[in-house]
Amino acid sequence: MSQHQAGPLHASRRNILQGAAALGAAAGIGIASRPGPAHAQDAARTLVIASPATPQGLDIEFDVSLGSIDALGALYDYMLAYEKMPDPKAPGVMREDIGVHGDRPNGLALRGRLAEKWDISPDGLKATFVLRQGVKSNWGNTFSARDVKWTWDRKFNLKGQGIFQTAVLGLKTPDQIKVEADHVISFSLEKPNPLLLKQQCNLANPIYDSTKLTQVGGADDPWGVQFLKNDSAGFGPYKLQQIVRGQQAVFQAREDYWDEKPFMRTVVMREVPSSASRLSLLQGGAVDIAQFLQPREYMSIGTSRTLAVDTVNASSMIWLELNAKIKPFDNVDVRRAINYAIPHDDIVKTVYYGLADKLTAPVPYIYPMADPQYFSYDLNLDKAKQLLATAGLADGFSSTISYNAGDPVQEPIALILQTSLRRIGVNVQLEKLPAGVFYENVTKREKPIIFYLDSPWTPDPGYATFLYFDDKSYVDYSNYSNPKVNELIEGGLQTLDDNERKATYGQVQKILMDEAPWGFIAYPKYALARKAKLSGFTYYTSNNLRFQDFARS
Amino acid sequence: MPEAEATTGAIAETGRTSRLATLLQVARARPRFALGYVIVLAAVLAGALAPLVAPYSPVEANPAEFLQPPSAQHWLGTDAVGMDIFSRVIYAPRIDLAIAVAGTLLSAVVGCLIGAWVGYHSRGGGLRGWLAYLVMRAADVMQAFPVFVFAIALVASLGQSVQTVVLAIAFVNIPIYLRLMRSQVMTIREMRYVEASLVAGLSDARTIARHVMPNAMGPALAQLSVNVGWSILLTAGLSFVGAGVRSPTPEWGSMIASGFQNVVTGEWWPSVFPGLALAVTVFGFSLIGSSVELFADPVKMRRLTRDLAARRRERAA
Repeated sequence: MSQHQAGPLHASRRNILQGAAALGAAAGIGIASRPGPAHAQDAARTLVIASPATPQGLDIEFDVSLGSIDALGALYDYMLAYEKMPDPKAPGVMREDIGVHGDRPNGLALRGRLAEKWDISPDGLKATFVLRQGVKSNWGNTFSARDVKWTWDRKFNLKGQGIFQTAVLGLKTPDQIKVEADHVISFSLEKPNPLLLKQQCNLANPIYDSTKLTQVGGADDPWGVQFLKNDSAGFGPYKLQQIVRGQQAVFQAREDYWDEKPFMRTVVMREVPSSASRLSLLQGGAVDIAQFLQPREYMSIGTSRTLAVDTVNASSMIWLELNAKIKPFDNVDVRRAINYAIPHDDIVKTVYYGLADKLTAPVPYIYPMADPQYFSYDLNLDKAKQLLATAGLADGFSSTISYNAGDPVQEPIALILQTSLRRIGVNVQLEKLPAGVFYENVTKREKPIIFYLDSPWTPDPGYATFLYFDDKSYVDYSNYSNPKVNELIEGGLQTLDDNERKATYGQVQKILMDEAPWGFIAYPKYALARKAKLSGFTYYTSNNLRFQDFARS
Repeated sequence: MPEAEATTGAIAETGRTSRLATLLQVARARPRFALGYVIVLAAVLAGALAPLVAPYSPVEANPAEFLQPPSAQHWLGTDAVGMDIFSRVIYAPRIDLAIAVAGTLLSAVVGCLIGAWVGYHSRGGGLRGWLAYLVMRAADVMQAFPVFVFAIALVASLGQSVQTVVLAIAFVNIPIYLRLMRSQVMTIREMRYVEASLVAGLSDARTIARHVMPNAMGPALAQLSVNVGWSILLTAGLSFVGAGVRSPTPEWGSMIASGFQNVVTGEWWPSVFPGLALAVTVFGFSLIGSSVELFADPVKMRRLTRDLAARRRERAA
């Protein structure tokens, strides 16, 4: 699964007014309205977050917006999870241990969640999971293998994003997932698949309470689609108390949660569309976390004693889709020339204030097997001109760069690119598209150059390269097509041997960097602005928060 | 009758001095009007001479010098991608004034023509009367929408370009001129000379063109300059919300919008200077509007020239 990271919208008077309203409301909910020691304790155990948006929907099948993915990690539990480890560069921050561990079963550092034990047959064609007993949903129903089966059947039937989850595992029919016993379930594959266990950790694969959802949906809505728009039925540490879209969502910790009870009993997610207002709320002490600020705003927190910013290397990438079906980008040399004209250092310094690194591979640099050695596109305008001449465009050409008005970093990047490209004779017009129209344009693949910011949630080079570069993928938005690359990517997704996979994906990355289907820009870091006394932030490759991670000292 | 005498005296006084001299006297008596003309002239000159005066290219990013505060090198500082704000501020009138003037003129021409036709036929029956009625109701509908929302919707549906912004401005302004012209024409329509023209055998169209419109233009002309100022604001507003001209075209509204995010972190200059330029220019147009209103109002004008004459007499005595 990939995620569209719609950045905070630019500020308007309306946004500021909303921010001001949120200030009052957040203060009221969090602290001010509850005096006395008992209430002080309540306030300490209430987490107030200023978010760009409240969850649009609560069903991952149809919605992966920012608020929704934060809600998902709190409301649902998963079969497996990666073990946590301290972030090597950010003190106090934890992250998933997604590396290759030759000494561990299946080469992965996994821990059981709803699955207690798991085993993959020697031929790699069958995985069996023994499930945890005594787990209750937020509706009091007991977890069993039927819930897992129902969850995957739902993907097959609804054909939303879940159908991608089934396809990536090579699952063709629901019969391949079988209830072996009340608490045992198996997945049978036609070919070995290195993603089978990794996908069980993916945020897009939460396990549903099938008893509740079949009950509420009835015959009209057997998969509980209507119910899940505004409520949840899962086995996670929180339940939804209230959702008023555009205003706030409130989550309550569950007393009957099977694992460690979360420190934060109540979580209030307030919608504050303007990043400047979110920062003001944090500075004023009205909220504990201000999400998705702009790079300059993170820097402004800098030396504050009461506030802190955690910055970690992340799975996000920002690039230009150079449309291989639109002239002159069908010519490899033109795509290479564009890459040689990208002033990475200027962009990282001026636009991101150092909160990014240059994009040196076609997969996230934090993922196993990512290899930056094939990157050769440091700024070189002479080489770019030379390549244009080779392509028969010595006099340059004109084109358009389309960017997302909802992401405040894209316009400055586009302006810097425009100036740099002008120097090699390429005159680009900038086209600012409102967020909704922008994504429509990306998927239509009719723009010559369009920005894209995304992150492949599963930390695997096969998953990431399949998403963006296999011409069978719906996310191959640059229209890139190379049968050799398809063959390699798909071959790597059918072997469990990590050494073989490393060699395969090394080759894939080499070809991709050489053929430059993208204008490689940057790896933006994930940053979290919070009160200094708030601890526990854990970074996930799905770039969402999990409220259960946080505590207050 | 002292009032009549005074009026006659004032007219006689006006008659003795040339028009230019009267203008100068008015300018001396009401210096704020002069200020309006000076401001607008300055904005026009800034736009016209920008290529000669601007120290830097207004569309060239220079990441090495981003967000520099005002200094000897960059008089008004630089923005988030290192563009020189002074250069952009003085280039901006080229776009802002051009869009506003073009949009306003277009709306005035179209609005006045339709208004004249509607006014001429408003009191008539038949198909034309009905059509006139329908046009007025359509204008009601247009004016019932908040102007800004209406303009955003137009730009969103027609696509983002300078021409579209001009069209949007023209479109939202048309009902204003239409109404002004209609009410004037409805009065003039009853005049004897119009009747005479028709009796003499001129067609409706020629009567409107030769005898009605020239006599009904006064209020519409007075509205023009006020409208230009207001259109500059609308242009900037559209750009501020991202529906105006394309980046990096130097334009005050988009400069304010892109600089706005830096204000909260202490870099006020990318937003404040274009904001000041915008405010001062709109103020200038509003002063000109007031002066035109004065010139177009015979009663006020008579009173003023009378006062001026009285003052002159006092000085002479």
